[in-house]
Amino acid sequence: MQQAGGSETEVTWEDQQNINKFGRLNNRFHELEDEIKIAKEANENIEDASNELILTDEEVVRFQIGEVFAHVPKDEVEMRIEKMQQETTIRLEKLEEEKESILAQMAELKKILYGKFKDSINLEED
Amino acid sequence: MATSSSPPQIASEVVAERRGIPAASFVKDVQAYLNQLGLDVNNTLAFLQERLQQYKVVEMKLLAQQRDLQAKIPDIEKCLDVVATLQAKKDSDEALLTDFEVSEGIYARARIENADSVCLWLGANVMLEYSCEEATTLLQNNLENAKASLEVLVADLQFLRDQVTITQVTIARVYNWDVHQRRVKNTSSSQDS
Repeated sequence: MQQAGGSETEVTWEDQQNINKFGRLNNRFHELEDEIKIAKEANENIEDASNELILTDEEVVRFQIGEVFAHVPKDEVEMRIEKMQQETTIRLEKLEEEKESILAQMAELKKILYGKFKDSINLEED
Repeated sequence: MATSSSPPQIASEVVAERRGIPAASFVKDVQAYLNQLGLDVNNTLAFLQERLQQYKVVEMKLLAQQRDLQAKIPDIEKCLDVVATLQAKKDSDEALLTDFEVSEGIYARARIENADSVCLWLGANVMLEYSCEEATTLLQNNLENAKASLEVLVADLQFLRDQVTITQVTIARVYNWDVHQRRVKNTSSSQDS
C-alpha cells in the first residue's frame, strides 16, 4: 500500500477479508495458468502420438505404461490414446472454466477495493 | 455483499492458530494496537517484519511438501495402470511383452506370463510381494491418502497466505498512522511557534 501522506482510511475486517480473498484468487490464477500450460502440452503430445499411429504400419506398438514399454496391438493403442485425449480435453475445459470464474471474481473485488481505498491500494501485477 | 451469504467467514471467530501456524491478529485501530503491544512504532514494525519472515519460512517448507506430493500422485497412478494391465493380461491368458530400461539408453525385452503377484517398493529399501488384487488395494489407499494430504496442505497454505496478507496490511497501516501522527505533530508545532 502506498503511503499517500498517511491516510486515515479505516480498514475493516470485511476489507481485510476481501484483500485476503483477492490474494488467494490471484495465487490460484497463477497456478491455473501453469496447469493449463501443462495440460495443453499433454494434449499436443497425445495429438502427435495419435497422428504417428495412423502413419505407422506396424501391428504391434510399444506403448508406455508406467516406466516400461508394453507391446500392445495397434487397435488397443488407438483406444487408449482416444481415452487419454478425452480425459485431457475434459480436464482442460474444467481448468479454463475455473480460470474464467476466478478472473470474474477478481474483477469484482477490484471494483470494491478500489472503490473504498482508491489510490491507497495497488492490485495490479507488477 | 450480504453477510448472510458467507456465514463461515464473518460470523465465526478468528482461528487463533492452525497446525502450529499462529494467526495474525487483525488490527481494528492502530493506536489501540500499539497501546496493547506496549511498543513504540519502530519496535512494532520490527516485530511485524519478523513475523512476516517466520511466515515466509513456513511457506517455503509447505511449498516443498506440496511439490513432493504433486509428484507422488502421478507416480502412484502409473503403478495402478501397470498392475491393471498385468491383471487384464492374466485374465486373457496372454503373455505381456515389454521393453524396459536396463540402463540409460539400453532396453531389454521381457516376457511376463501369468502375473499372479507383483512386488511393491515400500521405501526404506523394502520391497514386498503382493497379489494383484492386494497391490491394487494398497496403491488405491496410498493414492487416496496422498490426495487427502494434498488437500490439507493446500488449505494450510491458503491460511498461511491470508496471515501474510494481514500482516503486510498491518505493517502498511502502522507506517501510515505514524506518518500521519508526525504530520499532525509538525503542523501543530509549527502553528505554536
